[in-house]
Amino acid sequence: MKNGKTSQLMQKYSIFFVLLVMIIASTMMNPSFMSTRNMTNIAVQLAVATILAYGEMVLIVSGLLDLSAGAVLALAGVLSVSVYKSTGNMAMAFAVAIGVSVVFNMINALFVANFGLPAFIVTLATQMAARGLALLYTSGQNILQIGDYAFWGQGKIAGFLPVPVIFMIVATIIISYIMNQTRLGRSFYAIGGNEEAANASGINVIKSKYMAFLINGILVGIAGVLFMARVNAGLPNGAVGYEMEGLTAAIVGGTSFSGGIGTTSGTLIGSFIIGCLNNIMNLQGVDSYIQQVVKGIIIVGAVLYDVRFKNKKAPKVILKKKDEEEKKDDAPKAEAGA
Amino acid sequence: MKKFLASILVMAMAATALTGCGGSEPAAESGDGYKVAYIARAQSDSFAAWLANEMIRAAGEYEDITLDVFDGQADDAKENAAIENAIANGYDAIIVQPNNGEAQRPYVEQVVAAGIVAITTNSRIAGIEGASSVDADPYVQAQVNAEKAIEQVPEGAKVVVLRGPSGNFHADERLKAWNEVFFAARPDVQIVGDDYANWNKDEAMTLMEDWTLAHGKIDAVISMNDNMAAGALEVVKDNPEFDDMLAYGVDGTAEACLLIQDGLMTSTCLQSAIDLADLNMATVHKLLTGEETQIDTDIDAVLINADNVAEYVEMYKANGQITE
Repeated sequence: MKNGKTSQLMQKYSIFFVLLVMIIASTMMNPSFMSTRNMTNIAVQLAVATILAYGEMVLIVSGLLDLSAGAVLALAGVLSVSVYKSTGNMAMAFAVAIGVSVVFNMINALFVANFGLPAFIVTLATQMAARGLALLYTSGQNILQIGDYAFWGQGKIAGFLPVPVIFMIVATIIISYIMNQTRLGRSFYAIGGNEEAANASGINVIKSKYMAFLINGILVGIAGVLFMARVNAGLPNGAVGYEMEGLTAAIVGGTSFSGGIGTTSGTLIGSFIIGCLNNIMNLQGVDSYIQQVVKGIIIVGAVLYDVRFKNKKAPKVILKKKDEEEKKDDAPKAEAGA
Repeated sequence: MKKFLASILVMAMAATALTGCGGSEPAAESGDGYKVAYIARAQSDSFAAWLANEMIRAAGEYEDITLDVFDGQADDAKENAAIENAIANGYDAIIVQPNNGEAQRPYVEQVVAAGIVAITTNSRIAGIEGASSVDADPYVQAQVNAEKAIEQVPEGAKVVVLRGPSGNFHADERLKAWNEVFFAARPDVQIVGDDYANWNKDEAMTLMEDWTLAHGKIDAVISMNDNMAAGALEVVKDNPEFDDMLAYGVDGTAEACLLIQDGLMTSTCLQSAIDLADLNMATVHKLLTGEETQIDTDIDAVLINADNVAEYVEMYKANGQITE
């Protein structure tokens, strides 16, 4: 019995242990690792990817996916920079970035939720369109001299707290609240776990998918502003492959690609595992090719763990009676509620 | 559902036909003049996009040349297909900016075999009989910086090296020049960080943040392009400890010129898309009119530093890349 509980605890908190072991090992390898400055560096470096990872987590939990995040981020970012340069109004710059990103995500939602096209294909198409529009708008050139816009990626509040990290913390709190405390969050887990059962139990599946894409759109828009502000330029060809960083963080953090399972805290930890790994390998001067190999092994390990252990624990049921489904409605969340 | 998809496809095809896809259609068959195809490496690459725009401008200066631009999308298969299409569409000349020289070599040979004028540019594919070339020598671009750095970098300096993508001809040649000209002459210099930032500013920022933490003061940044040098400088620009840090790049971008003007960057070498485009059009015109049959030529490698940067800032103001 005790062994069973220990095993359950290990399964539930394994991701935290992995990060803890990594932090201890990294500190032993390089004492600078635990310095305040390095921790701040890691947090700033991870802020954009973590915010994107939350969007991916929400979508994957709902049985969806977004391959257009990096391209939409670039388009939203360059338009936002451009608006700021012509108006000097940061609120308008944020509104444009979020607006553009939300529009693209609503297009994704339309094709996925209403027309039943696979999210993989739809978001791949919007990825191409968004990147093309960003390049078309800028003629492929970087937008320079962005002035105080850079504060949102490089500035610090009270002299020590980087602005992107504040956005990351606020996003963590809000996404965690939505996923754990609201009916909407439970509907994401339900439709990702078993869409037909969710539909049968009265959940508006189409609306939930729109909401998942809406949340992703807001997060990608904010990430667009933070990314461009951090690099102090509008880069139409920036953030290539960033959706993969977000996906990686979510998956390493325990989000199941088959849907219905995933947590905000797990995604945050997943992001920090990848970030700490990159950081310590850079600090130790590890060749970047080896870095890629190590990251690849970690992703395969995380997915293997997910497939072999987590999925074995919760076999999928295609259809259930409505009353059974209602009882089980909260189960995926509770299971993944670390 | 099928009807809906079919409607979308029809609308997309109609839109494509109406807009002409930004010049991807064959040249207008006016009967007079020469049809020239320019196969760009990747319109998503900011330098390649700049060069494509300048090619269009430079072609506009020749009444007998009509230029169409095609995008290789940084993909060998797509670039090769674009070359094959241009041959089939009967262009009089095809200018290829290779994504990967060896992958495009047999296709440029097909251009020559079809009796079409062939030019490779930025970077050239050497040794194709019957093909001409217009380039900026990447070795020389790094060399002009490296020669200055021999005198400028302090004794026993700690330096970091930011590399371009592995296997990229320009990245490899620039690094080769730094190794042969600078590092061979300055064995006292210690390389404390050396990694691939793949031409990207954000990747260079992350590396520089980690390197400055691991190694403290860094005396010089040796970067294979300006974008990565700008990323490294972004990290230390507000840290007075790095006020005297040297930084070298290549490309002579608008951002690099502003950084040199502000005293943050030491020097760069201009790889002028304007000059490359002008030289390409002059070359293709000479070949098409039969004035010459084979041309292999390079643009000058101009070092930009604090002494002459004002001139280039004005150049970028004129083309709108710098606004004030």
